[in-house]
Amino acid sequence: MTNHWIDIKNADCIMIIGSNAAENHPISFRWVNKAMENGAKLISVDPRFTRTSSRADIYAPIRSGSDIAFVDGVMNYIVQNNLFNQEYLVDHTNASFLVNTQFGFSDGLFTGYDGSKRMYKKDTWQYQLDESGNPKKDPTLQDPNCVFQLLKKHLSRYTLEKVSSITGCPAELIVEVAKTYGATGAKDKSATIMYAMGTTQHTVGTQNVRTYAMLQLLLGNVGVAGGGINALRGESNVQGSTDMAILFHILPGYLKTPRVENQTLAEYLEMWTPKSNDPKSANWWQHTPKYTVSLLKAFWGDHATKDNEFAYQYLPKVSANYSHISMFEAMYDGVIKGLICMGQNPAVGGPNVLKERKALEKLDWLVAVDLWETETAAFWSAPGVDPKKIGTEVFMLPAAASMEKEGSITNSGRWSQWRYTAVHPPGDAKSDLWILDQIGKELKKLYQADTGPFPGPIVHLNWNYGPGREEPDVHLVAKEINGYDLTTGKLMASFGALKDDGTTSSGNWLYCASYTEAGNMAARRDPTDAPNKIGLYPKWSWCWPVNRRIIYNRASCDLQGNPYAPHKWVVKWTGPETKWAGDVPDGGWPPGDKYSFIMKPEGHARLFGFGLADGPFPEHYEPLEAPVKNAMSAQQLNPVVKIWSGEMDDVGTVEKYPVIATTYRVTEHWQAGQMTRNNSWLVELMPDMFVEMSKTLAQAKGVKNGDRVRIKTARGEISAYAVVTARFKPFKLNGKSCEQIGLPWHYGYKGLATGHSANSLTPHVGDANTMIPEYKAFLCNVEKEVG
Amino acid sequence: MAEKAILLDMEKCIACRACQVACKQWNELPAEKTTFFAAAGGYQNPIGLSPKTYTLVKFYEHEEQEKLKWLFRVHRCMQCVDPACVKACPVTPVKAMTFDKNTGATHVNRELCIGCGACREYCPFTIPVIDTEAGKSTKCTFCFDRLGDGIEPACAKACPTDCLVFGERDQILQMAHQAKENLEKKGRHPVIYGETELGTGTKKIYVLPEPLDYYPDVVKSPKVSEDLGFFHQMLKPFGTLTLTASLVGMVLAKMKEVKEKDKVKPS
Repeated sequence: MTNHWIDIKNADCIMIIGSNAAENHPISFRWVNKAMENGAKLISVDPRFTRTSSRADIYAPIRSGSDIAFVDGVMNYIVQNNLFNQEYLVDHTNASFLVNTQFGFSDGLFTGYDGSKRMYKKDTWQYQLDESGNPKKDPTLQDPNCVFQLLKKHLSRYTLEKVSSITGCPAELIVEVAKTYGATGAKDKSATIMYAMGTTQHTVGTQNVRTYAMLQLLLGNVGVAGGGINALRGESNVQGSTDMAILFHILPGYLKTPRVENQTLAEYLEMWTPKSNDPKSANWWQHTPKYTVSLLKAFWGDHATKDNEFAYQYLPKVSANYSHISMFEAMYDGVIKGLICMGQNPAVGGPNVLKERKALEKLDWLVAVDLWETETAAFWSAPGVDPKKIGTEVFMLPAAASMEKEGSITNSGRWSQWRYTAVHPPGDAKSDLWILDQIGKELKKLYQADTGPFPGPIVHLNWNYGPGREEPDVHLVAKEINGYDLTTGKLMASFGALKDDGTTSSGNWLYCASYTEAGNMAARRDPTDAPNKIGLYPKWSWCWPVNRRIIYNRASCDLQGNPYAPHKWVVKWTGPETKWAGDVPDGGWPPGDKYSFIMKPEGHARLFGFGLADGPFPEHYEPLEAPVKNAMSAQQLNPVVKIWSGEMDDVGTVEKYPVIATTYRVTEHWQAGQMTRNNSWLVELMPDMFVEMSKTLAQAKGVKNGDRVRIKTARGEISAYAVVTARFKPFKLNGKSCEQIGLPWHYGYKGLATGHSANSLTPHVGDANTMIPEYKAFLCNVEKEVG
Repeated sequence: MAEKAILLDMEKCIACRACQVACKQWNELPAEKTTFFAAAGGYQNPIGLSPKTYTLVKFYEHEEQEKLKWLFRVHRCMQCVDPACVKACPVTPVKAMTFDKNTGATHVNRELCIGCGACREYCPFTIPVIDTEAGKSTKCTFCFDRLGDGIEPACAKACPTDCLVFGERDQILQMAHQAKENLEKKGRHPVIYGETELGTGTKKIYVLPEPLDYYPDVVKSPKVSEDLGFFHQMLKPFGTLTLTASLVGMVLAKMKEVKEKDKVKPS
């Protein structure tokens, strides 16, 4: 979230798209309700009428996989009808920047496409530079090569008729959404977007998010109270684990994982430290060397010295993609031999689970760390599997639940909140920290005894959280994440003082300031609001970066530091003596001295975004399995998506599988279900696997509410109870009626409530940028079960 | 203690069913064995109130002119200001259906209850359910065992959206009228239910965002049966004996028989 949960109450309009917040983030509706009490309008965009839609002023149905077309259509309306915020566009975004005249777009492809590699060469996706090397601008936004005009041209193809025929959403509803949402282009109004996995889990997932962000920028809704682009994270600590680099492409604090071409620290820093010649650009990532060296000092302590590149060579250099699908494909192919699976249940939650369960069968060993014996831990007892034929050795380590251990949880709003042990874990169950500490210590012993070819990274690890078999001191971990001044041994006060000479350490620069000599900031519980009274509560817990509750907040003011919305101001300039008031500003420089989007070297938010793999503007492409031909271009699928074509990776056609399917969660169950399908009270509420379908589809298939039906895709087949409901309706796509069904993905073969796993149906294909699986749009067929 | 009440502003309900589960947790009620969604109307489970379920979220799906409404309602004991169930309870000298003066809660004293069913028979909303195995009446207790310690009811505590709010009845009524007014401004036709029903009203104050027709199971004009006095008279001769459920059952059956006869008589 750029903003945070409580801030939703400040919105004048709320669009929930790619999210069913009422069901999956119930607490968010505390704040949605407050906004609505103050007159805010709620828009729900979803293929299915959900418990979120039930509360909405406007419900706009779109078929799964058509978000870009929908939002591009809304943006087109906003641009054509001058609803955008021009001052904001010029002052805070790259709308006025001139783009290379060679840049172009034709029939679904941007310039620079290499079809043999399925990737783009981005040399034309660049700004025109002036003699000092800074981007050229046209503040009137009239130059045909300025970002705004290029965007306008790109969007103009997304006419109401076109968008309606792609999404299945009636044109008048698109207009209603555009007008209602577009009204927040007024300077003192704001709107927020709440999104989740319905947005991201597509082959165009990253571009989906970008589309929302661009809509927000057009209307001046980023950096302001009640605005922003707000990812509702799927688990309580997903934000925290992402910050701490649970993903393969980043190191803690969103530093880049070294690539194989970054052979030295100097080469790494050269490649990943952005430069700017513009004195008004804060270019915050220019500090990358300080954060990188401080991280290496946290990892390897005294073994990281200037002479050995601060142990940079201990870091692995990636040469391939190590995301979820890639790893399971590698397990299936016998490349990866062992797996530690902590708090994850891919045998239910992974895409194409029949393939992923098969991949587990090929492992030499599997360590499953969880509260219960999950489907993953017990993959060898899946229906139809003969354990005698499986050689995998499985270790089951019982884990402590969140209430049984102390530590921090970082919520979607970036608030790190300290928690205490409420009860001790039962039996042999141990905290994840204890388990990892023991594995770390044993690995060190093994490498010390038998050094092997490259023992340094393990043997020299800075690993001091407590002796022997004791519960490690979680405060020592939190302090290491914050970092130390190594010359004094004191905790760092904030990342501003981190150095690249080896005299400071920080396990995650973004969390530097979270645990200082003044104490554990995440444990603070002072419920006093900030003077602007917009619900920042700055002394309740702590949030990154440096306790800034709304990021990009300099963009909530004009260039003189006056808030656009005085009645809900975030920060304001109070003069050279007293400086900024309100939230922690995005840098303390006087207004106008520095640009507001400090994380970008050009200092402006990018309507033209050249960082992504699949294009600087969002373009509609169909999902891997789509019910129609792409109406926008000859490019059916996102042209840079990786296609997996191994065994068990079959793709279905609309002729054989004419019904669109999507997956989702329900309030009553959580993720792959081990925590909720083992709770009898929750099982009572949602006891069985079901499929939701329209009355028309049910009628065509002779299905009645409560009948058993079979759902088939090219990957698998499952059985479920039919919920026949008016909450699903067929979509009219280019004149043709197309049905969609929906499936909860919580069920499996273990626990109190069992049922077929929806992910038996989903494909192994991921987003072009992140490789997040396309769980949300695929093709199936539905038949009534006989006998 | 000023009279307490719970606001149920169903416009704010997202049917998360936290109240339903919190009720079970506080009252240590076991889960029911359910299958699919046996009750009509979407996700509702279990099928109805029972000795194991004192609070139940109901779902209502309405479609009119392509416009869909998916409504929710928390269903359980209304906690009448002047509870007929207490009057009906034949157990003497101390009533098993207890009106707790301290908290204002009406709840079943399980030690005294004989499970006769008179409370259900005379409840204007037909709420209490007899646990035939244990021979006890069961229903929402208004969390008298929390209120007594100054803690709000479990359902209101668990509600994430301020749909359920516990407070003084006067203030709750004000909030209800404010919520109604807000909805009316949006052109909706909300109903306050529980303020004046039965004359003296109830302690569960509903704001239903749509007219009562949208909630077919809600009793439109609840009334306390007029034969409550007659019932007690019929029981009087047994006053010296220990009342049993079967004896009261016989009396109730007899009264029903009489009533049925009255019905078939041509008027």
